[in-house]
Parts: sequence; structure tokens; C-alpha cells
Amino acid sequence: MTDEIWRCAKCDKPLEKRKTVFNYLGRSFTHEVDVCPKCGAVLIPSELAEGKMAEVEEQLEDK
Amino acid sequence: MNRDDINRLQAEDVSALAAACVNGAAPPCGGACPFGVEVRSFIQKVEKGRDAAAFKTYRDAVVFPILVSALCPAPCEGACVRAALGGSIDLLNLERFVVGRAKNTRRDSYVIPQKEKRIAIVGAGAAGLSAALCLSLKRYRVTVFEREADWGGELRTHADFGDFDAEFRASFEPLDTEFHFNSEISGYGNLTGFDAIYLATGRAVPAPAEPRDGVFLGGGLVGADLMNSIAQGRQVATQIEAYVQTGAFTEPVAAQCDWTPETDDVPDVPRVIPSQDGGGFTVEEARAEAARCLKCDCDKCVRGCEMLARFHKLPQKIASEVYSDTRANPPFAAHTITREAYSCNDCGYCKSGCQKGIDVGEILRLSRRTRVAADSAPPALHDYWLREMDFSTEPAAFVSAGIGKNTCEYVFFPGCQLGAYNPAHVTRTLELLRGSYDVGIYLGCCGAPAYWAGDDARLEANLAQIRDNRRSLGAPKFIFACTTCAKIFAELLPEIEGVSLYSLLAESGVAAPSGTADFPAAFAHSVIFDPCASNGDEETQNAVRAVVSGLGVELDELPERGKCCGYGGNIQLANPSLYDEITANRAAESDLPYIVYCANCRQVFAERGKECAHILDIILGLDPAPSPDIDGRRRNSLEVKRVIADSFAGVSVSPPENPWDSVVLKIDAETAERADRKLIAQSEIREAIFLAERDRVYFERSDGVRQCSQAKPALVYWVTYKPLRENEYKVIDAYYHRMKFEGADDND
Repeated sequence: MTDEIWRCAKCDKPLEKRKTVFNYLGRSFTHEVDVCPKCGAVLIPSELAEGKMAEVEEQLEDK
Repeated sequence: MNRDDINRLQAEDVSALAAACVNGAAPPCGGACPFGVEVRSFIQKVEKGRDAAAFKTYRDAVVFPILVSALCPAPCEGACVRAALGGSIDLLNLERFVVGRAKNTRRDSYVIPQKEKRIAIVGAGAAGLSAALCLSLKRYRVTVFEREADWGGELRTHADFGDFDAEFRASFEPLDTEFHFNSEISGYGNLTGFDAIYLATGRAVPAPAEPRDGVFLGGGLVGADLMNSIAQGRQVATQIEAYVQTGAFTEPVAAQCDWTPETDDVPDVPRVIPSQDGGGFTVEEARAEAARCLKCDCDKCVRGCEMLARFHKLPQKIASEVYSDTRANPPFAAHTITREAYSCNDCGYCKSGCQKGIDVGEILRLSRRTRVAADSAPPALHDYWLREMDFSTEPAAFVSAGIGKNTCEYVFFPGCQLGAYNPAHVTRTLELLRGSYDVGIYLGCCGAPAYWAGDDARLEANLAQIRDNRRSLGAPKFIFACTTCAKIFAELLPEIEGVSLYSLLAESGVAAPSGTADFPAAFAHSVIFDPCASNGDEETQNAVRAVVSGLGVELDELPERGKCCGYGGNIQLANPSLYDEITANRAAESDLPYIVYCANCRQVFAERGKECAHILDIILGLDPAPSPDIDGRRRNSLEVKRVIADSFAGVSVSPPENPWDSVVLKIDAETAERADRKLIAQSEIREAIFLAERDRVYFERSDGVRQCSQAKPALVYWVTYKPLRENEYKVIDAYYHRMKFEGADDND
């Protein structure tokens, strides 16, 4: 699924990899994710949300 | 502890909650020992063959190991809990074994500078020598005055004095203790220039009439026997050191044992009898006797609780960490106890089994309360249940004394989940109660989700609401169907009189008025699974049994009552693997079906596939309904309100409506179950798709699959879906994350 090209429906633009700032429990960090180049909407696939992101969330909760 | 106390929490407030813990405290034998020998440590070393280390442990406590092991009357044996389980541990022979095998009895020499303080010791009997040795080892300038020509006092007439004399000589040989024999001290005038004086002149000499600063008394002079005289010598050395350094007088601290080791499952093992001539142990015998020792210590809470076992922390450590965690200031000083604090079922099991009544749940709840008060709690861990509480106290709430009535003598408080599981449990129980009682209805929430989350503000707001509603009904007695509600009320609303629904049914015989209920045949032989909140509430536990067995169910008992099903504390999101472990363990405690009297237990076991009925299924003759999903539970709660408002209160209520209610989802069973397990409601999926389609804010692939998100305060939900026709969507996946995205990295 992640190999497919996603388009932002509103802007009709294909998403591009962009470094994006994430924030959780007062800490910020950046990660490269699919973003609409026009409106900046971010797409988080389930593998990322339930994989790496969940891991980092748990680490930050423990700190 | 109220909210102001939470904001001003001190270390001692937290440590006091675990201070009585006896883990690591002296076992009964150590408590009986005048020297406070660390018996567990000593015996473990003997068992492992570390005889030299065992010798040091012993010598450090008893000062003169040859003398003490020869003459000690072993009061430890009388205290040993093995006494009735094969015979007391033969500690004295183990001590003699270790002393006999000690190749190097010289004390380690450390480079300690000579201290200037001068100590006089009057009397070179066992008491005086013990104090003299301990102070000399600390490098004080010690002078011993003895009126006789040599040391030993009353020991001089003992047949083995030669051995003791040799031990004294070996002990003092490397030290610079001054001995003045044939020196009778007739008054303090002989003892000028000393910073402290220890009078150990034996029982024949009367003690000085007046206490004096810097003068310490011990041994036979104060009535001590030989062993206590030697033990006092070591204690007084510590007291004198404190006195000459600070001028303070400190009480000696003696090892005490004020707890009883549990020996329920300990098999008898006979005492090892020494086979050698003279009665000493061989090496094998010593190891076997040491292995027989139970090394009494208390870790019952850790053994009985999956959470404590997983983190392997004892109450005092947890208390200390909970306090230091309140000082955390991330990212400079990290929190250290988050996962433990949010993994506790708060079930009271540790407290119910603890000889000192320590409640680890209370300590960890304190941690969560301080986190919420400091606005540093991870919100996602309890968000779902707090929203469910909002639902129960707002759209699903309803209070009435009945048609045409303002007040009632009783009010039925079913709790938030009973009707959610099966509306008939509330509506038909209310009918049953109305036949015998002047009863009203209160659909709401006791506040357990806020209590568990540590959210004091939300909890207090709900309690205020309950007080107001109760007042408006004329202060009726509350009838509880849920033991968690009963527990929360008893703790936080003690002014409200409450009664368990099941006690009422048992007393009044209201249950099954026809004599037997038509309960499902599968439950003819069952066990009662008591909810954790029933811990300590034997009246309700017994009433449940009386009602169920009165209906003709044959009941067996689980090995233990009141262990949490896993739901308590709402730990499912904070520690999913621990939640799975606990729920699996509870479901496996018996092959027989469970009858529960907590709707949350019912939900947990239904999800586990364990055959399980709620007691009201048995009483009302209902087939246990399959566990509804999240939306089903909410629908059921609203249905309870609609039916009761209409039939009981004579008012018409409409459930709240949302514009996305009309969205039709096609979702296969596996995807639906996965979403439900993540606590994502289908109404949340509907909302996300509805808003995304309305505002055209979604992503789309060439195959028509779309993806949308919906940010909520604690979570961001995502739905992967495909439009099927107008307002109908196939749901492919639903998930969430807790992080928020702030936008593009400007440095990119």
C-alpha cells in the first residue's frame, strides 16, 4: 500500500516526502513523511502509526 | 489526601504509605538474636559454600565468634518458623561449622587515621572487652581499667577459657588498646581526661547513683547476661562514637521482628542431625541444613500480582520512586515510574494479603494524581474511559423518583456498564425492586474512570453532581449493582448510605420469587468470580453465593477471591501485554463457567471467549448476551435511558443525534474486532469519514482507496476506506497515533 502514490484530494497534488515536525508530551522531533506540497496535509500510514510512532510514544511516556 | 495535599506532597507523605513494609526486615530468628545476626545473609552464604564470607557476617555481629558460638543459648531456635515443619534450623551448629572452618580469623586492616577522642572502659569482662574491641577498631584511644590481674571477668572460671583467652589475644594483638590491670577505679576522679566512659564492672558492683554526661553503663552492671553483655558492647561503641562526635545520645537500635512468615505451602523437612563425634556438621550436612532454612522474608505482594512481578519492585522502592517522580522535570529530569503507575489495576489485592495493610494501588494512584495535578500525565492512556465517563454522566444520565414523585426511599444506581452490557439488566431489575421497595433510578457514573486516571477535578465535579441529585431525591439509600461504585461511594461519599443489590435480593427473597430461576443450563455448575472491588466486602460476596445457590446453581470456589479480571485501573492502553497476561490468567483459573457480578468482568471474559454470565442473567433467566462493541454499549445505555424515562418517569427523551449517524459502514468482522480492541468506536470512524468527505480533505490512491484523519484532543484517528455508493463506505483499516504533527520542518 505504501508503494502506491497518494494524492491530496483537495489540492489534486501527489504527496511528496517532507521532513515534518512532530510533537508529543512537550517534545518535538522531525521525521520524513508523505505531505501534500500545496496544503501541507500529512499522511501517516498504519505501519508507521502502529510501528515506529507507537514505539517512540511509549518511550516518551516513560520519560 | 486531598487535592491541596497532592500539590504540597512531601517525601515522607509517600514513604509513610509503605513504611510498614517488612520486606528485608529481620526474620523471627534475627529478631530473637541479641546480636541481630543477619541470619538470611549468613545462611545463604553457608548454603552456597561461601564459608569465609559467612564467617565475616557472623563475626561482624557477634564480636567474639569463638566465644559466642561456644556459649550462645540460641534463642533463635525458639523463634524459628521451621520448628513445626521438621524442627528449628540448627543455627548454632552452622555457626560453629563456619567458625571451625575459618582459616583466616584476622580482621581486614584498613588505614584509618588515629582519632584523638579518648574512651575509658572500666571492667575487662566480656562487656568491657566487646566495647573496647569495637571502639579500638574504629581507632579511638581506648584505655581499659580492670581491678583483677587479667581480663575475662566471670569467664575466667569456664573450662574453655583458654580458647576464649586466645581469641581475646588474637583480637587485640594488632590494636593499640591500653590495658591497666590491677587498677581499681573508685570514682570519676580517676577518670579525668576521657571524652566518654563505659562502666562494665559486672553484677557485683553497684551502679553509680547519678547519671552523668558521657558515662555509659552496660553488661552485668545493668543486669545483662553474657550474650547481651557482648551485644551491648557493640551497641555502646556506636552510641559512644555518636556522643563524642556530636554530643548527642542515641538509643541503640535492636533488630526486631513484628511480622509472621507464611508457611502454608512449606513441606516438612527433618532437621539434619550432625553425624560427627563431638556433634559438629560435615560440609554436606551444613549445606543441607542451610538449604532447609526458609530464609524468611515477605514478598507476598510481588508473588501475587502480575504487575508487581513484572516490574519486580517492592512497596518501599515504589514509594520512593513515586515521590522522586514528582520532582521530574522533563527533559532535564525524566519521569521514572510512568509505566508502573499506569499499569496498576488498583484492585486492593496487595493490601488484602499484606500483614501491614500496605496498598501499592494507593501509592501508584498518588503518582497518577500528581501527574494530572502537574499537567504532566500522558492523556492518551485514560482518554477513552474519561470520554465514556462523560457519556455516562451527560447524554446517558437520568435521575427520577418515578412518575408523580419527587422523593424515594431507595435509588437504584446500576453503574455505567450494567445497562451497556444488557439493557434488561437495568430495566428488569428496576421492575423487580419496584415490587418491594419505594425505589427511584439514577443512571450515571460513580467516577471510577476519573478515580483511576488520577483526575481529581473531574472526580470531584462528579461527586458534587451525585450529592446534588441525591438531595433532590430526598436523600435516598443507594442500591449498588456494581462493587466498584459501592467502593468509590464508601471512600468518597461516606455520608451516603448504600446497600448491595445482591444483599438486598438475598435478604428479601426478591430474586426468583417463583422459587427457581430459569437460568441457562450451561451454568448449572459454575464458579463465582468475585470482582476486585468486592475485596473486603464479604457480605456482598456471601449474598451473591446465597442468591445463586438459592436458585439451584451448584457452586465451586476459585483458589482465591477478588483478584482483578484485568479491567481495573483502566490499564489496557497503558500496558496492553500486561492486560492480556492478566485477563488470560484470570480466564484460566477454572474450567467451569464463571458467574460474575461486575459488568466489566463480564466484558473481559466475553472478549476472552470464557463462558461467563452476569448474576442478573441467572436471576432474570436471560441467556448471556454476546458482548456488544463500543457503539453497541453506548446504544444500550441510551436505550436504558429511553425505556426508563418513558415507562418509569413518564417522560420522553431523544438520544443525541450527529450528522454522521446516517453514514453506512461496511466493515468485516475481523476489521471491526481489531478496531474495537484498539477502543476505536465505529461512530468515530463515521465521524472521520463524514467530515473528510464533506470537506474533501482526504488522500486518494489510483485504485479509489481513501485515507482520512480526525484529530481529537488526545489522539489522531485515521481511517482507510473506499466509497461504495452514496453515503456508504467499506472500512479497510482504522488506527490512531498519539503524537501531533506541527507542520513542515522549516530547516528542511
